[in-house]
Amino acid sequence: MSPPEIPDAPEEVHVLAGEYVLGTLDARVAEAVRAALPTNPALAAAVASWERRLDPLTRLAPAVEPPKGTWEAIAARIAAPASRGVSAAGRAAAGWRNLFGAGLAGAAIAGLAVFLAVRPPAPGPAQERYVAVMQADQAAPAWVVQADRGEISVAAINRPAIPEGRVMQVWGLAPGDPGPTSLGFVPTDGTRFTVDASRRPPVDGMLVEISLEPPGGSPIGRPTGPVLFIGRLERVLR
Amino acid sequence: MPAEEAELSAWVFQAGAGDQMALKRLYQAESARLFGIALKILRDRVAAQDALQDAFVSVWQRARQFDPQRGAARVWLAAIVRHRALDIARARGRETLTDDPTLGDEAVTDDPVERLAGAADAARLRDCLSGLEDKNRKSIVLAFVDGLSHAQVAEKLDLPLGTVKAWIRRGLMSLRACMEGAS
Repeated sequence: MSPPEIPDAPEEVHVLAGEYVLGTLDARVAEAVRAALPTNPALAAAVASWERRLDPLTRLAPAVEPPKGTWEAIAARIAAPASRGVSAAGRAAAGWRNLFGAGLAGAAIAGLAVFLAVRPPAPGPAQERYVAVMQADQAAPAWVVQADRGEISVAAINRPAIPEGRVMQVWGLAPGDPGPTSLGFVPTDGTRFTVDASRRPPVDGMLVEISLEPPGGSPIGRPTGPVLFIGRLERVLR
Repeated sequence: MPAEEAELSAWVFQAGAGDQMALKRLYQAESARLFGIALKILRDRVAAQDALQDAFVSVWQRARQFDPQRGAARVWLAAIVRHRALDIARARGRETLTDDPTLGDEAVTDDPVERLAGAADAARLRDCLSGLEDKNRKSIVLAFVDGLSHAQVAEKLDLPLGTVKAWIRRGLMSLRACMEGAS
């Protein structure tokens, strides 16, 4: 049961969510909305939609450098052990599981666009090819992937920089695979590169993803860092 | 130079995995924009600094809940800062009218919506806001950008409180219909 502040009628939910995002609710109702978010998916979705719709208005506030010492105060607060429920290692492992679980569900991880076009390793009689498009934001970086004769070539559109001290590792995971297979690494610069697909030849429904890893790549043979890009291959007849 | 959305998302994920350097990079990339948002709402550098600190601690604690399917990292960060700033404004007695001369600043005479330009999302919001009645639009901007309560918007626009509440409500319904209908 929702508390009295939270309506059930869809139109009322959208208005309440809009007022919450706008900031006009008083403290008591705003707190009731916040408390209901984790267990009320319709309300949470409505709030997320309003945050996205109204976000351009944040540009009307000019950027101002915060006072010196602000970061140091934040760093001191997050350094306190009590600020985290579990160890950093435990959190990293859980984070990986959550991310990869989301990846398996076909999520567009990190809100990034991935565009994949894959041809089978050898020209078959049916002239098949595989394509997948996942686009959460047309302005976001994207990778175009094409597979041909066991080699996967990747071209970047608006490629992102690799964070300092990290590498980006490419993975393939076909339906039924027990785990992802490393296909290689994204070079530090350049907008085109190829990886060897012979270890995991492209098939319909295969996930291709890029994760952020320590230098030398994941030490455990599967992604350990955040999955930054993911796309699912689909076969297209022509 | 503003960071790319991809970088911001990567840093949020890394922060969620316990990487403090990633949080610092987020701070370096976003703190001026976010402090500006908090300062506009609170009109007080000390209070805005508190809001920014609380928001980054909250980002650190909630980074694992960041869901890019619900929205971009940039939007998620701004929402955390805005809601923290609004909480502080409420705790400081926002519902009580004051004679604060800086309330809402220039927002009533100027039409700031005209300054929304550039990206497609901003253009659509601007077009849909432009379709609202003048005071409807101003009420929404004063609430969102300047953090004004219903009572403060009413005072600023010299209108009855009930009228402002109804207008904002109607404005939100029209805005949603316009933005969803245009997609």
